[in-house]
Formats: sequence, C-alpha cells, structure tokens
Amino acid sequence: MRRQLRSRRAPASPYGYRYRLDDQDEANQNYLADEEEEAEEEARVMVVPDLEEEEEEEGQEEEEEEIEEEKEEEEGQGPPTGNAWWQKLQTVSEYLWDPEKRMSLARTGQSWSLILVIYFFFYASLAAVITLCMYTLFLTISPYMPTFTERVKPPGVMIRPFAHSLNFNFNVSEPDTWQHYVISLNGFLQGYNDSLQEEMNVDCPPGQYFIQDGDEDEDKKACQFKRSFLKNCSGLEDPTFGYSTGQPCILLKMNRIVGFRPELGDPVKVSCKVQRGDENDIRSINYYPESASFDLRYYPYYGKLTHVNYTSPLVAMHFTDVVKNQAVPVQCQLKGKGIINDVINDRFVGRVIFTLNIET
Amino acid sequence: MVKKTLEIYSVELSGTKDIDQTDKGDGKEKYRGLKNCFEPKKNHQKEELKKELDLDDHKLSIKELEKKYGTNIITGLSSTQAAELLAQNGPNALTPPKETPEIIKFLKQMVGGFSILLWIGAILCWIAYGIQYSMNKSSSLDNAYLGCVLALVVILTGIFAYYQEAKSTNIMATFNKMIPQQALVIRDSEKKTIPAEQLVVGDIVEIKGGDRIPADIRLLSVQGCKVDNSSLTGESEPQARSSEFTHDNALETKNIGFYSTTCLEGTATGMVINTGDRTIIGQIASLASGVGNEKTPIAIEIEHFVHIVGGVAISIGILFFIIAVSLKYHVLDSIIFLIGIIVANVPEGLLATVTVTLSLTAKRMAKKNCLVKNLEAVETLGSTSVICSDKTGTLTQNRMTVAHLWFDNQIFIADTSEDHSNQVFDQSSGTWASLSKIITLCNRAEFRPGQESVPIMKRVVVGDASETALLKFSEVILGDVMEIRKRNHKVAEIPFNSTNKFQLSIHKTDDPNDKRFLLVMKGAPERILEKCSTIMVNGQEQPLDKSTAEAFHTAYMELGGLGERVLGFCHLYLPADEFPESYSFDVDTMNFPTSNLCFVGLLSMIDPPRSTVPDAVTKCRSAGIKVIMVTGDHPITAKAIAKSVGIISANSETVEDIAKRLHIAVEQVNKRDAKAVVVTGTELKDMSPEQLDELLTNYSEIVFARTSPQQKLIIVEGCQRQNAVVAVTGDGVNDSPALKKADIGIAMGIAGSDAAKNAADMVLLDDNFASIVTGVEEGRLIFDNLKKTIAYTLTKNIAELCPFLIYIIVGLPLPIGTITILFIDLGTDIIPSIALAYEKAESDIMNRKPRHKKKDRLVNQQLAIYSYLHIGLMQAVGAFVVYFTVYAQEGFKPSILADLRVEWENGNVNDLEDSYGQQWTWYQRKYLEWTGYTAFFVGIMVQQIADVLIRKTRRNSIFQQGLFRNKVIWLGIASQIIIALILSYGLGSVTALNFTMLRPQYWFVAVPYAILIWVYDEVRKLFIRLYPGSWWDKNMYY
Repeated sequence: MRRQLRSRRAPASPYGYRYRLDDQDEANQNYLADEEEEAEEEARVMVVPDLEEEEEEEGQEEEEEEIEEEKEEEEGQGPPTGNAWWQKLQTVSEYLWDPEKRMSLARTGQSWSLILVIYFFFYASLAAVITLCMYTLFLTISPYMPTFTERVKPPGVMIRPFAHSLNFNFNVSEPDTWQHYVISLNGFLQGYNDSLQEEMNVDCPPGQYFIQDGDEDEDKKACQFKRSFLKNCSGLEDPTFGYSTGQPCILLKMNRIVGFRPELGDPVKVSCKVQRGDENDIRSINYYPESASFDLRYYPYYGKLTHVNYTSPLVAMHFTDVVKNQAVPVQCQLKGKGIINDVINDRFVGRVIFTLNIET
Repeated sequence: MVKKTLEIYSVELSGTKDIDQTDKGDGKEKYRGLKNCFEPKKNHQKEELKKELDLDDHKLSIKELEKKYGTNIITGLSSTQAAELLAQNGPNALTPPKETPEIIKFLKQMVGGFSILLWIGAILCWIAYGIQYSMNKSSSLDNAYLGCVLALVVILTGIFAYYQEAKSTNIMATFNKMIPQQALVIRDSEKKTIPAEQLVVGDIVEIKGGDRIPADIRLLSVQGCKVDNSSLTGESEPQARSSEFTHDNALETKNIGFYSTTCLEGTATGMVINTGDRTIIGQIASLASGVGNEKTPIAIEIEHFVHIVGGVAISIGILFFIIAVSLKYHVLDSIIFLIGIIVANVPEGLLATVTVTLSLTAKRMAKKNCLVKNLEAVETLGSTSVICSDKTGTLTQNRMTVAHLWFDNQIFIADTSEDHSNQVFDQSSGTWASLSKIITLCNRAEFRPGQESVPIMKRVVVGDASETALLKFSEVILGDVMEIRKRNHKVAEIPFNSTNKFQLSIHKTDDPNDKRFLLVMKGAPERILEKCSTIMVNGQEQPLDKSTAEAFHTAYMELGGLGERVLGFCHLYLPADEFPESYSFDVDTMNFPTSNLCFVGLLSMIDPPRSTVPDAVTKCRSAGIKVIMVTGDHPITAKAIAKSVGIISANSETVEDIAKRLHIAVEQVNKRDAKAVVVTGTELKDMSPEQLDELLTNYSEIVFARTSPQQKLIIVEGCQRQNAVVAVTGDGVNDSPALKKADIGIAMGIAGSDAAKNAADMVLLDDNFASIVTGVEEGRLIFDNLKKTIAYTLTKNIAELCPFLIYIIVGLPLPIGTITILFIDLGTDIIPSIALAYEKAESDIMNRKPRHKKKDRLVNQQLAIYSYLHIGLMQAVGAFVVYFTVYAQEGFKPSILADLRVEWENGNVNDLEDSYGQQWTWYQRKYLEWTGYTAFFVGIMVQQIADVLIRKTRRNSIFQQGLFRNKVIWLGIASQIIIALILSYGLGSVTALNFTMLRPQYWFVAVPYAILIWVYDEVRKLFIRLYPGSWWDKNMYY
C-alpha cells in the first residue's frame, strides 16, 4: 500500500503551537474512509426505512407514548411538588381522553375499533379452538362410565345423620338437642320408603351381584333397599331413632363407585368399636341388617345416567348401650377383601370416626 | 514500629441499588478555597477539581515557605510542633469513604425489586394462618407453609443477588497500596524514620530513587531526580524534577512532588505542603467517591419493568379482592386469593435470571478482553451513544514507530502495523543503504539480552521511545543490528541533548578496504540540514541547492503535518588522510567536522493507530455511536491519528480546513459547513457549558486535544446533558472522576492506574479500542436477549394468573396451587430463560442506532401485550384443557365443576358426587386437585417449550435463525422436562409439594397448543417481515 502524499503549503514549523492542519485531498482518501462510507450507507438502508414509515404513520401515537413515558419518568423522580402533581394529573387525564386529537389511551377511535376487531377475531378463534378441543374431549369420554376410577377407590364412608360435624352431642331429656338428627334421618330415609322402593326398584336375589349386561346406554334396574330393612333404626317403630332413649341410630353408607364390586364375592362388613379409650364404653351395638354388611346384590353401580333409581345400601348402627355423659370416640370400619381402612391422610376411606356424647 | 492496620480505602462501586447517591454538588455556590488550603467539603469537591488545581507553593521562595509553614529547612520542625500539627490536621492518610455497611446492602437486596411484594404475600399468609388458627386450632398449616416458602424465596433470591453483586463489586484496596509506609524526615535537626502517616505540613523529608513520595512536597534541593507521575497525570515518561519554579500550573511545575507518585532515580529534599486528604491525590480520590453514581440504563429498565409488573399484580390483586369480597367470599379467603394473584403475577426467578444472564455476558466479554466489574455495565455498553476515548494506547499502539521515510526526493511509507512484517518501500537505492547505516549506528538503544526468541516488536529495549522505534525498524529490515554495530566499531559519540538537538557518533567502517571513519548524525531536521552542504540522491552526493532544500522543506512540512515526529539523518566519511586510524576523537573539543555533511534523508515516527481500530471506529459509526477523542497530545498529532482511524472521516473538514481551502479567514467560515472540529484544552477552559453543548451537538466528529484529565469530566457531563449514554476510557488517577461520572467508565488494563481501574465499571485488558466495540456488540445483544427472556418469563404469568381469576369467579376447584407456581417460576423456567442469553443476534446489531434511553424500553407496551394477551392467554387456554381433561376423565365434567368450590373444599363433605354419581371423600378430591395442579403445571411447561422456541427470534423465522444453533436452548428444554418429570414422578408422593404422578398421556394434551403457539408466532413474524412499518409491525413487534 502506498499512500501518495502531496505537498502543500504548510506552517513554518510542524511543531508550532498554533496548529493548522491541511485538508486531505480526495486522492488522499484512504481505504478506510471508503469502507466506512459504505458501512454508513448500509446502516442507512437498514435503519431508515422503518423509522421513517413509522413516523409517518404513527406520528401522533408516538407523541402520546412519549407523554406516557414522561409520566412514568416523573414517577420515578424526586419528590413531586403540588404543581407536578397537577401536571401529572393533567397528563393522565389527557392520556385517558385527549379532546384535541380525539384520542383515548393514546389511540384514536379508528385505531381502537381496529384493535377491538382484531382482538375480537383473535379471541373468537381462540374460543373456537377451546370449544373444539372440549368437544373432542367429550367425544372420547363415555357418559356412562368414567375413564378412570382409581382415584375414587377404595370407597369412602359417610354416616347419617350429618349436621356439619361428626360430634353427636345431645341431651336425652332435651329434644331440642337431638331433634335435628331425627329430622335429618327422616329426610334421608324418604327415598328408602318401602312403598317407593317397591314401586321403582326390583327385588333381586340376595347374595349375588346384580349384573345387567347389555348396551351401555340401556337403563339399568336398581335393587330394592327398603327402609324396613333397618328395623329399629328405620324410624318406623321409633320415630325418634332411639335418640329419645339415649340409644341413637347412626346410618352408615359406603361411597358409590361406578363398577365397584366387593372382591371374591364376600360382602363388605361394618364393625364399630371405641377408637380410643375404654373398649367397654360401648357395651352393645345392634346392626341392621343383622349381617352388618352391604349385600352383593347392590353391586355393581352403573352410574348416574343409566342407574337412575339406585339407592345406596345402608347399615344402621344402633348404639343401645353406650356410656353416658362422656365423649366416646367411635370408629366404624369396613371389613372385606380389597377394602382399605387405614389410610393415614384420609380418615374417611373405609372407616369413619365420630364421637358420641349422650347426656342424660 | 507501630503499624496501624490501614483501613482499606476504596472507591465505592455502584451496585444495583446505588440510587440515592445522586450528586448534590450542582447548583451550589462555587467554592473558592483559600489559596493552598483545600477543605475536603464534599459538596464543593467537584467544582474544585473542574477548575484547575489551586496550589501556589511552587511559586514561593524557600524563605517564604519557611515562614508560611513555620519550619526550617535545616532543622525541620520540632517534635512538639509536629505533634500539634498532627493533632490539628490529622494523620497523613486518605480517609476511607463511608462505606455502606454490608448488612444494609444485604437488606437492600431483600426489599428491592419484587421482594417487597412477596414479603407482603408472606405476611398476609401468616396473618391468614393466625386468624385461621385463632378460629380453629386444628386448621391446616398450608398458609403458614406458603408464607415460609415465600419468605424463603425472597431470602434466597436476595442472597443470590447479594452474592452476585459482592462478587462483581470488586472492592480493591488500591489506594492503600499507594501509601508509603515510611518516610525519612528531619525533625529537631535529626534525621528520623517515621511512619509516613505521621508526617505533617512543614516537615522536611528526604526521598531517594525507588521511594514513594510520602506527601505533596515542594522540592528544595534535587540531585538528578525523576518521578513517575503516570498515576496522576497519565504521562508515562519519567519527569525530571528540580527545585526551580518552572510552570504556573502546579501539576506541571518541576518543583513539586506529588503524594503517592514514585521517585524513579536520584535524591531530593522537600518540604511537606499537603498531607492526607488535602493532597492532590487525596482530593481526586475523595472526588471520585463523591461523584454520584448514575443508575445504569439497565437498572432503570428493570425498575421500569418491576413497576409495570408490580402495578399489574397489585391492581389485579386488589380488583379481585374487591370482587371476591363482593361475591360474598370470606375475607380470609379473599386474602388468600390476593396472595395467589401476587405470586402468579410476580416472575420470582426473573431478577436472578437477569443477573445470571448479565454475568454470562460478562464472562463472554472477559474472554474478549473486556473485564466487567459492575454487572449492569454489560448492557450500558450496548446502549452507549458516545465514546470518549483516550488516544495513546487505546487508539494507538503506544509505541513510536517509523511511519514515513523521505529520501531520493520521495516519501515512502513504512508499515506501521503491529508486527512491521510488510515493509514494501524501495530498498534498492544507494541512499537507503546509507540511511539504514545511519539509523543503525547513530543509536544508543539496545535490546535487553536474552530475547532472541521473542518477536522483534515485542522485545524489551533500553532506550528512549524514538531510538527504540529506530532500533526495531532497522532490526526488522536489516537483521541483527547489534552485529552490524559490532562490525562498525564506535569510536566517539555525542548523545542527544536539548541544546545541540542532534546526536552524533563516529565509527570505523566494516569495509576492510575503507580506512575512513564514518561520522553519522541524526537530529532535528532543520538543524541537520544547516550542517549539510550536499545531499544524497540515488546514492550519489549532489550539492544542496535551493530546489533540493525546497523539496526537503516540503517533505518536512508534509510529514510534520501528519503529526509525526521527524528526524533528519546525515553522514560524512572523514577523509583518511586527515583522520588516520589512530586519530583520537575528543567529543568535548569537537576535533572533527560537524558541518558540510551529506544529508541523506528524513524519517518520521508516530505512535501509529492499532490496526484494528479503524474497523472498530467504522463499526461504531454504523452503530450510530459517536467517537470523541480526548487526548493530552498535540492537536496536529491528535488530528492526524483521528483522521487515520476515521474519527474524523476522510471527507469532513474542520473550520480551519475550510478556511485554508477557500483562502479565507477562519472567522469568515460558516461553522455549519464543518463536520469536524479540533478543540484544545485552552479553548475548552474558556467555554461556557452552553457553548460546549452547542459544540457537542453541532459537530459529529470531535477531537479534544491538549486537554487535562480534569477536563474529561467536563466533556463527559457535556455529553450527558445531550442525553447521551457516555463511555469514557481512562488510565490515570486523574481520570477517575470522569470514569465514575460516565455511564460506563472503561479503565485500561495495562496502562491504567489502580485508581482508574477502581473507579471504572469495566477494564480493558488489552487497552484496545476495538475491544470496546466488541463489548458494545455484546451489550446490545444482551439487551435484545433480555427482552426475549422477559417476554418468555412474562408469558406464563397469565397462564398462572387465570386459574385464580376463574377460581374466584366461576368457583372451579383451584387449577394450580401457589407452590406449584413457584416451581414453574423458580424451577422449570429458569434454565430456558437463561439459555435465551446464548441466542445469536437476528440481524447485524451493529447497524442499528443506539437505543434511545427513554423510547426504546426493555419492556414496552407491545412486549407486555403480546406476552400477556396473546401467547399468555393461549397458554392459559391450553393448560385449562389439560386440567379439564384430567377432571373429566376422573369423573368431574366441566359442567359440574362450576360453582363446586365451596363443597369441594369442605372437609366435612366426604361423599361429594361427581358427574357419574360417584362419591368422593375430601382427601380423594384433594388428591385429584393436586393431580389437577400437576396437569396444569405440565400444560404450562409443555407450552413454555414452544414459548422458548418462539422467543429465539423477534422478527426472523425460527428456521432462519436455525433451530439448533443455540444448543443451550435445547439443554434448557431438556431441563424443563426433566425437572417436571422429577416433580411428578419423583416427588409425587411428597404431599407438601402438591405434586402427583400424572398419567403419561396427560403430558401430551397441551402439545397441540404448543404447536398452535409456534404457528401463531411464525405468522406474526411473517407479517412483520412482509409488511414492515404496517399497523401489524407497530403493534406486534416488541
């Protein structure tokens, strides 16, 4: 590389304190300068069009954005004086509605309508997609039979009467303290009235599963479970279910699970005992039906849609001789093959714990 | 010796939270201190330094000094006097600046950013638990746990941020190192060695070569003393000292020695005139720590972002609190909703991610020789719009190099690149043979022995800068110079001195047949020419006539005009008859001719620009960055270098250039015509701030020459008034205020003083300007990539938020738990968001203008809207589909889920019926709910995979960008999946975490949505590319 240097007039001494510099001739432009220019031009090509167009089309919007930014800046800065507050309020109100440019939130009406239309379409199509997905989801899900039942197995247990609490506190001599239990039980047993059961349901043979083959969508028949099965706890002979005598009846039912069958053809049994403390606190319990079990004919359950009149079988516990005037924790467990009744976290799987505190 | 533990002195470096230190110096009355009495009042320091240092002890005579300080130069102070003064003025040591206690820094991390929101959440949790507990002793511990988890998150991220900051805030005890430990002082007429700390004003001290000067001293007697003032003034050459007053300016006069500078050779006696903080260096040091630290642009951006997200979180939280209360929810429940909303809205992991991202870039930059000390400076460099660069060492190679030669009436160009490899000028001429001989022989510089394997240009040379240049130049061209010198034995020599202005030596020649002595001489060209009567052209001696003299002058001016240092060379073969072999030359009597010599040629030297610099400057230009040169050098040299590196472009002119071209007076030129300007320090001194502003706005190419380091601060402030983000390079102690003031201070790693490195945000390890440009590139890239990271992180917030809103309004069982959200934010999402930092630039980021501080925000409206309302909502929809699928397949169809919340959450309802009539216990439902959480989590995770892929680019198609170019992204995606698998299958049995083992098929339910997101974003980018500037582009490009 050879740079041609050309002579020109120059100060008397190149080291003079007054500097005077010669302009460089065009011939003297070095390669660097050329490259630089090219690069600059490229840069212009790259950057400028975007900016210009943007400015043309969005001039107004940008200005507004600036105002917004300024507003934010102000927020970040030092202690605002009263005047600044006023100004800020003004910018905010101007941002919300600018009467001059007829703009709200930095957009003109036209811009707003465009935005709204676009978002409407966007969300509409999103809604369409989700609808489509849910629809296909339902296509894959049978209305008769849940896809999975593991979570709801093994069955849980619940008792009646149930009044927000599992503590049965009542005073025999004060009907007010137990009347609501009676009402609750009565109400619960309405569906088990013999007349109703006989009318709606069939009397199927005991001791075996009541299997109804056939199409899924066929209505299934339900086995009768008559109120009278509960004998002393049916409320038919003693309308107070024993509460008035301090011998309360408590009904126990097993949670329904579609397709659940007690294993090996052994019916699930119920047994209650004192959970903690002296076992002799409960001297006797009568179970109705006397087998203290859920007969196999009530299984399997075919689901709400087809098994319309299904009535859950019940076991009534009649606490005929319980220590009075003290809280007795009672645990009633299901016993049978495939029944789990000792899950620590879930105190309602295969068992139920309640306290009896009968005062006299 | 009593040795106190010296307190560590350090310039406090800005951390993220160094906000409150805005400088208060402005606007206060200008401080006019009493002469020679600097009171380190913080508010006034800046003014003090901006005006030149005010010290006049150098002008006083010794008698006056003695009177002034009540001392005696023979006997020194008495011990009692000294003790009094010590008690009065304090020890001669720099007071360390008040440092923010570590605990405060730590606490600041704990409450900064989103932390405060999370603390509120945690406290609300505990309050809620407290209320629950007071109502029901056996209430679940969930809320207490959640509170603890939130607090833990805040504390951990706080510790992380604190650790990162502490690591990067490299507190160096630099000034401490500069304090001399001992001083030899005359007190009570005795010489004593005392700790330098105990020096007082008026003490008479003795220094010798190798000592550090213990205080500011006025030199009283000097024997060949030279000092290295580079840490103070940046001059790298040793400065001779004398006891005479030589310059008005205290910094330039020779009879002052400055605290902490080193005495290189000789001895001197001096009187202490300033101690401790009142020394020049003490003032600069306290000034450097006093200059306010501006918030870095990225800190501003992140604060802006925190405001946006925090605002959204709080307003949605409060809105839904009100809605929940008016929907007759329990207040306690409403508080818990509020917590959920806050947690869902706050990207807990983001600030940590940003820190990691920045430190990754910092590491990458360190590899490219930019050592970043303050993490946030990484991005600052990217938004830089003005670079004020030093010349020497930064733009240039910092070594004199032969640039041009003139012989045979022609100018030749020498290769000035770093390795000199390519010397192409014509070496066949006889003149060159003679010239090269003079260059070789008339030179006292020598290579240090034992460097044979070292490349020539890197060898260490003993000798001054010009001689070194000549030595290396000849070594490259001729080969072994030392050997040539040996063959041409030197018989006499007159070294260069400033009165002669030439250097001369006489040699025997290496031609055995030629018994003549060769006299060679070099020196200032005009002096050399005076001594010549002939000139060599094409190897032939010719009489020196007018036209050749004219040619010489032209060439001399030409080279001088390039800012080069020109040397003339001549020789004479002494006639053998007059000077026989045995002739004894005497340099004192000059018994040999020194006139009527033969002029051979000129050689000009310059400190040449680094070869990478012109490209770098070009890049800066195309990147819209203005490069301003600030140098202490001569304007001509400065301009020449500016031109050769492109800071002044080839076709732009200064006012003076125009005047010369048009042959008019400078005053007549229309200033608007000139693009470039060269301003000297003296001119700058007389300028008002307004004039400076005008200068900075009107000229695009500016060179400041002959400036003192203090003036850098003024220039930096001037640029900052133009709303520019200013990067400043510097190496001297005096540069440290400017380095601190600048948005990003860049210290030189090789030449820089520790004080400069301390004050800077970044250290250039190779002192090379080009490294700054790579830094800028990285900085811009990280800004883009942070945008991507934030967009990625914000997206899922909507997917996390919607469940809560729908839970409140529609009453579904809660789709996702607060703890699960934390697992997304701090678990699966972390690595992918960091991986985005490895993304390559989409287009040439160096062809863009620097971002506008106030307009180009990190998080803008488009980014927030697109992330929240487009992709975020799609994600929410996708995740809900997974959730509904799980519930429906387990028995709860969406229709039954609505309004189920109260019964669902009632622990006493243990026979809740589902759509099939099955009855569920409370715990079975809870387990199903957790399965729902896991499903929702997996749904979000799967879609976040698509999200991280679409965030790779903002404009280009992913396929243009290359799906597999950024491997770290895939690592991130793998980590996402693995973490999710571990959470679901590994920790699915840990009830406190609320994860369950999810059926494998549910992992794929959200995949179509992930694909949908990808397709949607590709379409968005396609339209942006197809219709630039359109409505779509404006609203959809973030």
